[in-house]
Amino acid sequence: MRARRNWADVRRHAHFYLFIAPFFLLFAVFGMYPVLFSFFLSFTKWNGLTERRWIGLANFAAMLHDEIFWTSLWNTAVLGVLTIPAMLVLGFLFALGLNAGWLRAKGYLRTAFFLPCITPMVAIAIVFLLVYSPERGILNWLLRSAGLGPLDWLNSVSWSKPSLAMVSLWRWTGYTAVLMLAGLQGIPKDYYEAARLDGAGGFARMWHITLPLMRPMFIYCSISALLGTVFMFDEVIVLTEGGPGASSLNFGLYLFNTSFVDFRFGYASAVAYTMAAFVFLLSLVIVRRRRGDENW
Amino acid sequence: MPTAQLIKILLAGALLVASGVVASRFDQPRSEGTSRSGQASQPIVVWAWNTPAKSLRQFMPSFRVKHPDIDVRVEMIGSNMSRARFLLALSAGIGAPDVAMIEIQNVQQYAATKTLADLTERASHYASSFPPAFWDNCVYDGRVYAIPWDMGPCGVFYKDAVFRRYGVDAAKIESWDEFIAAGRKIVTASSGQTRMLPLATGEMSHMFELLLQQAGGQIFDAEGRVAINSPEAGVALDVLQRLVEADISANIAAHGFEVYSSFNTDAIACYVMPVWYGGMIRDATQAAAARQLAWRVMRLPAMQPGGLRNSNRGGSVLVIPAQTQHFDDAWKFVEFALCDVDSQLAHYQQFHLFPAFLPAHRDKRFDRPDQFFGGQHVSRLFTQQLEEIPALNRTADWLQAEHYLNRALSRWAATGMEAPDFLQTLAVRLARRLGREATSR
Repeated sequence: MRARRNWADVRRHAHFYLFIAPFFLLFAVFGMYPVLFSFFLSFTKWNGLTERRWIGLANFAAMLHDEIFWTSLWNTAVLGVLTIPAMLVLGFLFALGLNAGWLRAKGYLRTAFFLPCITPMVAIAIVFLLVYSPERGILNWLLRSAGLGPLDWLNSVSWSKPSLAMVSLWRWTGYTAVLMLAGLQGIPKDYYEAARLDGAGGFARMWHITLPLMRPMFIYCSISALLGTVFMFDEVIVLTEGGPGASSLNFGLYLFNTSFVDFRFGYASAVAYTMAAFVFLLSLVIVRRRRGDENW
Repeated sequence: MPTAQLIKILLAGALLVASGVVASRFDQPRSEGTSRSGQASQPIVVWAWNTPAKSLRQFMPSFRVKHPDIDVRVEMIGSNMSRARFLLALSAGIGAPDVAMIEIQNVQQYAATKTLADLTERASHYASSFPPAFWDNCVYDGRVYAIPWDMGPCGVFYKDAVFRRYGVDAAKIESWDEFIAAGRKIVTASSGQTRMLPLATGEMSHMFELLLQQAGGQIFDAEGRVAINSPEAGVALDVLQRLVEADISANIAAHGFEVYSSFNTDAIACYVMPVWYGGMIRDATQAAAARQLAWRVMRLPAMQPGGLRNSNRGGSVLVIPAQTQHFDDAWKFVEFALCDVDSQLAHYQQFHLFPAFLPAHRDKRFDRPDQFFGGQHVSRLFTQQLEEIPALNRTADWLQAEHYLNRALSRWAATGMEAPDFLQTLAVRLARRLGREATSR
């Protein structure tokens, strides 16, 4: 009886459903279908052109012995460690600067900080290839001027990851700073005035008001940066192509190579799902921790 | 209009559209191409990379003279994007062009999936018109799936003024040992300001493959086993190691602004490259600088004096996807573009696409002197010993192997080339990765 009434309600308001239907249709076709199909693919062996063959969990088992997969994970972790904390700290400091009352030309500076993340990677690559050039690069010129030997920035197993991390840091710190700035501007001024009346100094206001209230923004930026690092692609393929060897091969490029160079779509899907599950769990831990803090 | 009626009309419309889409999807033949008999004139679509696409467009008027009833639309697609787009179109069974350009090393990968049209009936009589090394790469399981377009015989493009300044005579360089000695002389005399050649850590596999062919080695043997641990491959690796250890090269990529800017200066003395690189040098060199530097070409150094002084790097082919509905027209286009002396020479003379079609090499126009290279007979120079270059055994997973090889070699070079028994370890790992066997030494 109740079900029939609900269905009657749906029919009565059918035109509303019709209006929102395009989104759900598009989402089903371009969002849900690829996700579900990719999940199915992760249990198959498929090169994209011939018949798919169901192989159960064999793709997941193969991952355990895939040394390049593990290398790419390790490289991704190193890139994350090199970039994410520095990006958060620098982004926060720049945001504090951009939010300062005494600063002039704020609009100009905010635009300047944001520019790197909207600049095409090809243009960035040209500049950084020049900066890193072992023969004529400015970094090696500075090193030579300081009496130190030149470094083979992008062609060295030891320096390829730090070189990529520096580009990533340069590209995304401004973006993080703009997000942080939005967070800072969302903190009511009353809190600072009340604290000042209570005699709180600059450090105390930062420690007891700004940092706690910026926590959600830090968490958001951390998760964004984590996703950005795991699926980073442009920087790696343009500057090092993952080399030398696999020394700068991150997960994003590994996934691309597995799919569109090796044509191993089943295996690539298994790898992608495993990584997605890992990132999901990590994000959950971060969010849960925050929720726990709030309860406490 | 009541709501229920409106919904019914919309649903009916949606169903009609959907059924139309589904019907057109299943109308696409997946296997053999068919002729377009009885159909209205519809252009055949050709996908090609930038420069070849320009070349195809330029020769369209002469094609239209011979085939006025066939319209052709040439679409320019970047070589990086074309692989993914082509794969997706083949996989979907719809959306592929009627003719596509792909790299010769990828033919086996596609042919193994039976998504390319079988050209055997039309093309097999052209077998002797192409170098065996190239034709074999277009054949899978005894059937022909591609027609070779251009190839990349290799030589050394050098700046004669720089060679002369440091007392190097190009005519006396016959072997890699002599090349390395000349490089040492130039680098020492210029106090390191002039390097002999560009050789990037990330591009070691290009030079290795070039040397491997000269040494008569293979990545895979005829049975598909990984054969990179052969003595011939050891010889190639040894030359590569000596080239790197001599410290005569600049660690810069063969395609990049640093190398392009070096064309106009004396920063680099020469470039060990395929024939088409000459066109790139010509395009990127200012006239005055070219005259001052006196650009010339010499044949590739051999492993030892009297050895093979040529090798091949890269090359392209045209294929016809099996899903095409214009097979006859597509074949006529491919045949006219690639199996015709005038067409091939037009591609070469204007766009530096060196023809794999051997009858074109016998044409008088191949003997014309090249003023940019001081009146040298450059085209003829690259044809020498062309048919002696051994064919590389390509496999369906060639690209995967090539990527792995490049990664391994770049790491080997970046870590001081100290890996003991490098090729044996590489063979075992590569075999494991590809699910193949490795040959025993």
